[in-house]
Amino acid sequence: MTLFVHFLAAATGTVAFALIFDVPPKYYPLCALIGGAGFWLAEWLMTLGLSQTESTFLATIFLTLSSRICAVWRKCPVTVFLISGIIPMVPGARVYWTAYYLVIGQPGRALSEGFTALRVAVAIVLAIALTLEIPNKFFHRKKHDTP
Amino acid sequence: MKYPTDEVLETALEAGHILLESGAEIFRVMETMRRISRYYGVDEDHKEFYILTNAIFASGESSHGHFAKVQPCRVRDARLSRVVAINQLSREIEQGKHTLPQVRAELARIRNMPDPPRALQIFASGAGSAAFCCMFGGGVSECIAAFLAGLALYVFVLYVSAPHMSKISGNLIGGALVTLLCVLFRSAGLGQDLNTMIIGAIIPLIPGVSFTNGIRDIADGDYISGVVRLLDTLLVFLCIAVGVGGVFTVYRHISGGMLI
Repeated sequence: MTLFVHFLAAATGTVAFALIFDVPPKYYPLCALIGGAGFWLAEWLMTLGLSQTESTFLATIFLTLSSRICAVWRKCPVTVFLISGIIPMVPGARVYWTAYYLVIGQPGRALSEGFTALRVAVAIVLAIALTLEIPNKFFHRKKHDTP
Repeated sequence: MKYPTDEVLETALEAGHILLESGAEIFRVMETMRRISRYYGVDEDHKEFYILTNAIFASGESSHGHFAKVQPCRVRDARLSRVVAINQLSREIEQGKHTLPQVRAELARIRNMPDPPRALQIFASGAGSAAFCCMFGGGVSECIAAFLAGLALYVFVLYVSAPHMSKISGNLIGGALVTLLCVLFRSAGLGQDLNTMIIGAIIPLIPGVSFTNGIRDIADGDYISGVVRLLDTLLVFLCIAVGVGGVFTVYRHISGGMLI
């Protein structure tokens, strides 16, 4: 139940950001689906016992793959789906906790939160970079299309 | 189709300029500029493009002489509808649907495409804040507080920080503003858990475009631009954290060591 509510929240959040980034409205439904599913997947993987870094890595691979597939299908830049969908993955909360523990004088916990934020960010970077390496021909029928 | 080299390169440069400004990756800018010049008769041997996050360098040669232009670009907020429109245009060019003057007219139209209404952007910021507050475990009252703080934050972003402030002070004050508002809301009885409220409401400041594009640029081998964008992301994160931390520090002194 909580997972479903979080899926809806992530989908709403993704569309809100799509609007701020001026994504054309006809792509909102796909953005919502990709962003919501990505966050849901990450949370679900964590309930299976994976760390935040591992689940973010796997969820981001899923997110990037589905963004590329949708980009080919709707003939639009992959950026449209990727940028909106990645927002729920960004470790904003960890950055907050880092600042919080620093201020209340618990540098140990601040360091640990900061490192986790960095690890999650690196996981996102690797997942996107590796998934983008997959040659275009796996996604495209025609040549010359820029994803 | 054959056109004078400088007209073709000028058009390619304009397309690249709009793309770069609106949040496209270096790779896409390069690809689009190449496509336009190739289609209108300037082949690879007679021109060179060099693209960074904040400038495009273009040069070319023809029987009449040389073309050279440096186009500085200020990367502003993401305007992905323009990236989509130019992507579509470049597809149509390859299908032979446009003459060069038509492309120029179309580019002028794309440049003048309206932004989403400000009221809608402000509402989206509020809705996004509430949604993220919920995702990080906030209850209904926390979400309402995050919604209000998100609205206020984007009023500040659109009317104060974006036109008048540097990125550093804009994000620093933005983070501080959100924290201050959430502290005030909680003192007024709206919302219990300050953490989820603040986490939700600072999300609109997160530089998603620089982050994603930075990764993309590095993956494509455009290291200089990618590193600049990732550095930009890191800087913005630090500024937000300092803004939040600053207000907490002051609040701790006022409340005599009590927090949360």
